[in-house]
Amino acid sequence: MKVEYVNSFYKATKDVLQLLVDIEPQRGEIKVVQDLGSNKDANVELAVVGDLKGTILFSFPKNMTLEMVKIMSGMEMDKIDNFASSALGEVANIIGGNALTLLSQHNYTCDIAPPRIFLGEYKALPVGNGKALLLPLSTPIGEFDITIHLNEGN
Amino acid sequence: MMWKDKYKIGVEAIDQQHEELFRRVSNFNQTIRNEVNWEAKLDKVKETMLFMKDYVIVHFNDEEAYQEQIGYPQIEEHKDAHAKFKQGIDNYVKIFEEEGFTEEKIQEFGGKLMAWLIMHVGNMDQKIGEYVKSKGGQA
Repeated sequence: MKVEYVNSFYKATKDVLQLLVDIEPQRGEIKVVQDLGSNKDANVELAVVGDLKGTILFSFPKNMTLEMVKIMSGMEMDKIDNFASSALGEVANIIGGNALTLLSQHNYTCDIAPPRIFLGEYKALPVGNGKALLLPLSTPIGEFDITIHLNEGN
Repeated sequence: MMWKDKYKIGVEAIDQQHEELFRRVSNFNQTIRNEVNWEAKLDKVKETMLFMKDYVIVHFNDEEAYQEQIGYPQIEEHKDAHAKFKQGIDNYVKIFEEEGFTEEKIQEFGGKLMAWLIMHVGNMDQKIGEYVKSKGGQA
């Protein structure tokens, strides 16, 4: 997997979170993983199609999710309800859209399917084709992960 | 409240409409998330939803007229973004017409609308202010 993929998603995440929730994520050490599983509380899956095919998974802890939605809405949040999960899904969707714009500058033309949100542990099948990269990110309101599994399509 | 001063673009007429839009969306979100029984607040939800749909169109039209007036070079790109935003709202209006104003779908809509609005005003609209400033305007 190429460095452009990771950098595009990192830059898009940084820009969007800075704008929407006033936080600047710092990247941790990237890891190679065999599957897209996550034990974090709120997971948003984006399916990518086009020149690149695969899945991007955003995994957030509950408290961070609630804090992000609180910063955006100005409302107290005590549970990840439909409102909060929808807002979180849209944040991931906007990040994905911006990342694809950055990838298009490297001549990859892709599209993303609407986000799918999973609350509770996310169990996915092992990635069949190649490995996935897990990028941990830390912020003042919690730590979250982006798992990237992309292959060049034929 | 959702509004933050950093969302100002420096053009007073547009900033006022943005603040109003944020206030309406914020009130809408408070209404759909308060503890009052869903049936009891449904009329208010419907009324606010329809008002907002109209207000978004009024605001986008005004903003596009302003962009034309100042010869904003990225007007077409901005019109596309407005069209997508309106399409997003229309998709939900269609869902509500077909499936009714269910609490689940209204909450889902409220969460998305909030993210769309902040992203659009906080990012795309800022470029209008930067352009005005670059031309020696007051932004």
